[in-house]
Amino acid sequence: MTQPMSPILSVRGLAKHFGGVAAVQGVDLDLPAGLITALVGPNGAGKTTLFNLITGAVAADAGRVTLAGKELARRTPARMARLGVARSFQDLRLFQSMSVHANVLTATEPHAWFWQPGGRRARMQRLQATELALAETGLSPLADALAAELAYAERKFLSLARILATGARIWLLDEPASGLDPASRSRFSALLRKHAAHGVAICLVEHNLDIVAELADRIVFLDQGRKLAEGEPGAILRDPALAAIYFGEQRA
Amino acid sequence: MLVLQLLASGLQTGALYALTAAGFALIFGATRIFHFAHGATYALAGYAFVLADHAGLPWPVGCLIALAVAVAFGLLTDVAMYRPIQRHSASFFTVFVAAFGVVIFIQSALEMTFGRSFIAVSSALTHASQVLPGLYLAQVFWVAIAVTGLVFGALGWFLSRSNSGIALRALAENAELLRAYGLSARRFSALAFALGSALVVPGAVLGAATTGLSPVVASHVMLVSLAASVVGGIGSLRGAAFGGFLLGIAENLVVAVLDTQWSEAAGFVVLFAFILLRPNGLFGAALAR
Amino acid sequence: MSAYLLNLAELGIIFGLLSLSLNVLIGYGGIFSVAHAVFFGVGAYAGAQIALHIAPDVLLAALGGGLAAGVLSFALALPALRVRGEYFVVASLGLQMVATTIFTEAQGVTGGYGGLVGIPPPSLFGLDISSPWLFVSVCVAILLAVMAAVHALMQGSFGRSLMAVRDSESAAQAFGKIVPILKTLAVVLGCIIAGAAGGLFALQMSFVNVESFTLDQSVLIMAMVIIGGVGTLFGPLLGTALLLLLPAALSFLPGIPPTELGAVQQAIYGLAMTLLMIFRPGGIAGRAEGRR
Repeated sequence: MTQPMSPILSVRGLAKHFGGVAAVQGVDLDLPAGLITALVGPNGAGKTTLFNLITGAVAADAGRVTLAGKELARRTPARMARLGVARSFQDLRLFQSMSVHANVLTATEPHAWFWQPGGRRARMQRLQATELALAETGLSPLADALAAELAYAERKFLSLARILATGARIWLLDEPASGLDPASRSRFSALLRKHAAHGVAICLVEHNLDIVAELADRIVFLDQGRKLAEGEPGAILRDPALAAIYFGEQRA
Repeated sequence: MLVLQLLASGLQTGALYALTAAGFALIFGATRIFHFAHGATYALAGYAFVLADHAGLPWPVGCLIALAVAVAFGLLTDVAMYRPIQRHSASFFTVFVAAFGVVIFIQSALEMTFGRSFIAVSSALTHASQVLPGLYLAQVFWVAIAVTGLVFGALGWFLSRSNSGIALRALAENAELLRAYGLSARRFSALAFALGSALVVPGAVLGAATTGLSPVVASHVMLVSLAASVVGGIGSLRGAAFGGFLLGIAENLVVAVLDTQWSEAAGFVVLFAFILLRPNGLFGAALAR
Repeated sequence: MSAYLLNLAELGIIFGLLSLSLNVLIGYGGIFSVAHAVFFGVGAYAGAQIALHIAPDVLLAALGGGLAAGVLSFALALPALRVRGEYFVVASLGLQMVATTIFTEAQGVTGGYGGLVGIPPPSLFGLDISSPWLFVSVCVAILLAVMAAVHALMQGSFGRSLMAVRDSESAAQAFGKIVPILKTLAVVLGCIIAGAAGGLFALQMSFVNVESFTLDQSVLIMAMVIIGGVGTLFGPLLGTALLLLLPAALSFLPGIPPTELGAVQQAIYGLAMTLLMIFRPGGIAGRAEGRR
């Protein structure tokens, strides 16, 4: 396990109310480079909302987000992406009508004009990043297939490939490995481990506790928008009080 | 005073727009479908009423026929068009193009059958009498206001007191919830279409008796319903009704300053202003994409 | 006979430009406008004025028309694109219905209801190209150039970005794409091409009047794109060819009075679009399932 370095992304006191309901209440979170942090908690605990607040997809009522020491006040998803914060969605949101290759390539083309800057060299780099991401995720043979035609596991890997190609240093992944068969899951985990070892800060929302036990360097437990606990996976997963909340909720 | 007179006719037009727009909002609220073909429902109901009148049938019968036509057409679009599309695609593109295609088809079919010019129903109700100096009101004004009030009252009661009505509002909030309770979302969407389409009838009937109908009324009403929903806030019935009134008044007040052909432009200006300044409308909630 | 065919070819090129430019909005951008004829009209009136008062140069008219339409579309699109797709359609419908009134009232610029007549025959850099074959050739050259440019853009990063935004706006944003700018660029590009087509139209017809720029026309262009197949390069052109030949085909059918021809065509467009959406959203050239 890598030594935790100083946090790349820091969240202090993030909060959001929807109507009368507090979705996220005063959450602090540090995402250090090279560490895989798992966000767990029962349904409705505010995990996805927290991601939305960090990326600016939803405006926060209170709280601060700092990136490499610099506070980010007016956050929008596009801006956060350009700053190196990549985010995946629970429902994937692949570009269905586009090919696998195009899905990944377009992730490397954020510039809003008729062409991307940088000329031929930059274009070669983007293509190389695309090829590499497809190779790492095992999707190279399917490069020309439409995203809509992919099998379930392939779609999950495509979602990851898009992020890989961007070269982002902070990944917010929303249930990226849920529903994967064991072989795919270990391939997936190996990829995350590999990139964490290269210094990427990864934060996963995950319901599957096996995945969490296998991958996470640290666990953050959320319930009803609040951070209840944070620490080593072993300690958190064995805590009976947290288990009661987690499983109790699920049974209801 | 001219302004007062225009305000009165604005209220009259607005009342009828409000009902039609509320019908559109009801359907959207319950089914999340942007029923672009709503304008065609209005046109068909209006022309049915005129035909009935020209055939010598008494007014109540004509109204019933218009109601039957509106409801049948609304249900038809749900069953024969929106549902098959939603089964395989449900993207905004397909829903919009299909509904728009229906409006164009109906509009053209009406033009082929009745020609491009206005047709109307003549009625004693439209004879105006002086109420105040400079203010002439016809009986149809009071009829329009009364009918609008009654219908909104009944609608309000239905949506908050009756089981079906409450379920309809629940459907707007959360379709999965309804399915979880074993209620058929399909039946309720049919109810929404039937009810929403029925709401065009007062406007269509009274419109036929006052300004008259022409085939382009389908596009015009479609625009007004949509505009009213934007102004009022998408998903809000109250908002759509308010938007309808606002547009009716704007359309009429414009005549005080410009020629009548600019009245449609007034609606557009109001719409554009809201899109620019207040896209959520007056009462609407921002909906997630 | 050949004059008739050449005339049809010229119209085919002009409408080909219209449908391929609308395809940029609808097919690639997922942006629904039913006001494309408005920009066609703005370009036509601009081109006509240029032809009447400066020179009836084909390129000048096309550029002038494109510029006029582009500026207008930029001014309108910027605010209008901030809102949901459904609202944008409504706004475009409103624009189309108001534009007809504006075109009829702005006598000074548009010649009012009668339109602008007596547009001199087309020329190119001072050379007279009014002979049908020459004019068609110039138009074909323009069409090919525009097709090549649009194709290059749609195959490149811009096209990918547009399609990404169309397929999932939130995911596109999550990958850094600034949605309002991309959408505005798409709309302005499409409208510039429509305006250029308008400039050509003014020179081809030698007169312009509001009847060519109504909702019916916008519907026709939309039908060409949809029936031919959205989001493909040749689909819209296929749709253009089919629908341009429709009136001629209809005139062979007995029992349709000529005054009703317009309404019959519109009825066919409407019905075709609806049926296609139910059974084959991709159009003729597109995939059977169309878009998800």
